[in-house]
Amino acid sequence: MRRTCENWKRHLPAGKFGAHLFPEFERRAKAVSAEVFHVKTAAEAAEVVCNLARFTNAKKVVSVPSPLQEAAGIDAALREIGIEVYSDPADIAAHVATADIGLSGVEFGIAETGSVCQDGYAIESRLVSTLPPLHVAFLDSSLIVPGIIEAFEVISQLFDHGYISFITGPSRTADIERVLTIGVHGPSRFVIIAVDGEAQEGGAAS
Amino acid sequence: MTGENRNIRKEIHEKLQDEALRANLGRFAEVYPSVRAAALENAGDVEALREAIKQMKVDTVDRIEAVADAFEAAATRRGAKVFRAADGEAVFGYLMDLCRERNVKRIVKSKSMASEEIDLSPYFKKKGFHVCESDLGEWIIELAGHKPSHMVMPAIHLSRYQVADYFSKELDKEIPPDIAFMVQAARQRLRGEFLNADMGISGANFGIAENGAIGLVTNEGNARLVTTLPPIHVVIMGYEKLIPKITDAALILKLLPRGATAQLMTSYMTLVGGPTPVMVKEGERWVEKTREMHIILLDNGRLRAAKDEKFKQIFQCVRCASCLNVCPVYTLVGGHVYGGHTYAGGIGAILTAFLSGMADFEKFHELCIGCRRCTEVCPGKIDIPGLIEELRVRAVKEHGLPFVMKQVFENVMTNRRLFHSLMRAASLGMKPFAKGNLIRHLPLFFSGLAKDRSLPTIADKPLRDRLKTLLRKPDNPIGRAAFFSGCTMDFVLPETGESVVKVLQDLGYEVVFPIDQSCCGKPVSATGDLETARKIARLNVQAFEKEPADAIITGCPACVEALHGYAELLKDEPEWRERAAAVAHKVREFCSFVAEEYVKQGRPLKTAGGPKVTYHDSCHMKRVLGIAVEPRKLIEAAGGELVEMKDSDKCCGMSGIFGVKYAELSMPILEQKMNNIRDTGAEIVACACSGCMVQLQGGLDKQVPGVKMKHVADLLAEKIEK
Repeated sequence: MRRTCENWKRHLPAGKFGAHLFPEFERRAKAVSAEVFHVKTAAEAAEVVCNLARFTNAKKVVSVPSPLQEAAGIDAALREIGIEVYSDPADIAAHVATADIGLSGVEFGIAETGSVCQDGYAIESRLVSTLPPLHVAFLDSSLIVPGIIEAFEVISQLFDHGYISFITGPSRTADIERVLTIGVHGPSRFVIIAVDGEAQEGGAAS
Repeated sequence: MTGENRNIRKEIHEKLQDEALRANLGRFAEVYPSVRAAALENAGDVEALREAIKQMKVDTVDRIEAVADAFEAAATRRGAKVFRAADGEAVFGYLMDLCRERNVKRIVKSKSMASEEIDLSPYFKKKGFHVCESDLGEWIIELAGHKPSHMVMPAIHLSRYQVADYFSKELDKEIPPDIAFMVQAARQRLRGEFLNADMGISGANFGIAENGAIGLVTNEGNARLVTTLPPIHVVIMGYEKLIPKITDAALILKLLPRGATAQLMTSYMTLVGGPTPVMVKEGERWVEKTREMHIILLDNGRLRAAKDEKFKQIFQCVRCASCLNVCPVYTLVGGHVYGGHTYAGGIGAILTAFLSGMADFEKFHELCIGCRRCTEVCPGKIDIPGLIEELRVRAVKEHGLPFVMKQVFENVMTNRRLFHSLMRAASLGMKPFAKGNLIRHLPLFFSGLAKDRSLPTIADKPLRDRLKTLLRKPDNPIGRAAFFSGCTMDFVLPETGESVVKVLQDLGYEVVFPIDQSCCGKPVSATGDLETARKIARLNVQAFEKEPADAIITGCPACVEALHGYAELLKDEPEWRERAAAVAHKVREFCSFVAEEYVKQGRPLKTAGGPKVTYHDSCHMKRVLGIAVEPRKLIEAAGGELVEMKDSDKCCGMSGIFGVKYAELSMPILEQKMNNIRDTGAEIVACACSGCMVQLQGGLDKQVPGVKMKHVADLLAEKIEK
């Protein structure tokens, strides 16, 4: 899978990022209508995703693998409850337009704005986060930087070429009479599943 | 709106009746200052950020060619193609070739003001292409056949009912005027446009020279789709979007969303660095290919501005439209009236002059009232009103003033005796003069009666005739103060002029009134006629040299600004420049001077027991001279109980001759002020600007009759007399 950077964590500013910023991140993300599930273990993350799928009556999920998802065994858990899961790029391309949920990992969060930073160089990462009505992003809750300035310090170290996005809540518009309306071209629901650092260390891919 | 055949007064009249526009803009303008402030709460040192953006942009524009070369090299190295387009024609040529080579039939666009500027969509539609705007607002105005009326909110002039009509027509079924429903209808209708497009066209909020990446700041998610689904991505961006380093983008992103829509960050911020993968269907199989990326750097007048010492400032614009959101005129009539071919408001006037032409600019530039509210919010610290004044100067240099105005300025304003005898004659009865074409252009002539504002009368006896009895040398004066009254205090508000004299004398000053003083020249220079302004400046310099003083005091901040500017105005005449500088150096605004003296002399700055007073900050006083604290202190020193009004520093709607020339537009601005005054429950409105006083007095008479209008000097003089 193509990545703008193979190891983002290595570039986070030492001493400036951490789980202590998570509460502010969570507050700001929720303020812009992102849904945040803060879980301690990989197993809990899988449970949250399966519940989301059940409650939304989802039949089809497109999923781009990330270490957190693999540690939690998300795809397998979804298949177990009878949901079609596609994770190969060609399959994602074929099914994304009709998928109910898109799953992907994100690299870090920004406390100042409640944004997450996504490495979107791989086409499949972008497809699953733009087209389905619900995008679920997996975030390591300890990887939160204070603000936009720090986020760009990270990016400036690793960004030669590729595609990087900040995602801050769901797609929105206020183009008609300045009335805020959620869900135009992008997902109308944006869910962040923040998994505590320990959980992933206990898992397969730390 | 194009430059030809505009009847701006008629357009204003129509827009003021447009309920949808008035409601949308009014609601937005009402909440914008507070939501913006809330969004800035956790932004850190905002002033430092603004300064950093400005410096970054200034450094960039000074070497714009080198930065563009670096950007092109970096983007090319990563596989993008960069094309430098001189104008719209060049863009069309490049894209037509590309479309032909790649067999492009369907194009989907995300927002690009640069493409609006060159009318890209109409051109490609005419050539038989299927072109679709995907930003909801842009799509709406595309269906309506309008131009954007705001840079960030292009369809803010339309109501949900109008939008429902356009949608019903386009989708060929009845669409109810329910906003959430309409947004979903647009999502469904436009989804296919993304999936089936052969080419995506986007703008860019910035282009980074360091690595050739572009940045897109959006809320709807359409720009992400435009840069993800079609196999070809074309970026159309102006040179002003170039920034040197990746970290420079952070500065813009700190203030752009906060200023534009009061968001800490938009839903999506996307960086695209070079060509990225795309999935293409070959037969039944989806295969990964590399998307083509073309970046078109549009000049269209920008590089000429970059070389202009003054107008290179337009490169400091990040297109957030904060300036529109606080503009008293824009928020009343919107961008179709206060705007040119593409760009709206004050910044739009300047961009229009360079990107569309002076003829287009000259049709609507007078709508900038110079209140300078925009200068407080602009992330790039652009002096928008200053640049508009400069463009006026250039327009006058190029083809002069309208004939009658020219006659008045050259013959009357430079001849104090003639000017003043006309003013005196006017006091005998305004009617005969109201018919004359000549006098209509005099700064103090208020033609026609307006229903929501009574008009001031010229005093029977001007200040200059009253002072003979008032001016007397006190025993042991602490200094000599020369009084520059300005026309309004001289001929309309002579009692306030007397108050100024009384307060200065009470401080122990000997006050003199150089009798040869005339209009400060501000109403003349504001139209761009610097030649006449220079003549007036020389006359006033001479008048004040005849009466040497320690300080020259004026109670009108616009006069202070004009007098302070004399040396700059006469900079090409070394002898006069020196003389003007010597005079200007002594010029002091009344309130700040008196407050300083009160402190020096140990006078009490707070005395109780007086009436409730609210204070109106004149635009010139607050934003040009930076004086806001002193007048408030003096109100309290005079015994007033200060109560603040909402938006105390928002323009009263007078702004020199604007309030008369565009009376219909001036009235709703005045009405807002009147409502804010009424809400305070104050008995007195105090002000420190004679121009505002005329306007406010007129509004009070008709709308809030119980409330009195006073200059701070009047309050102080009354206190002294008690």
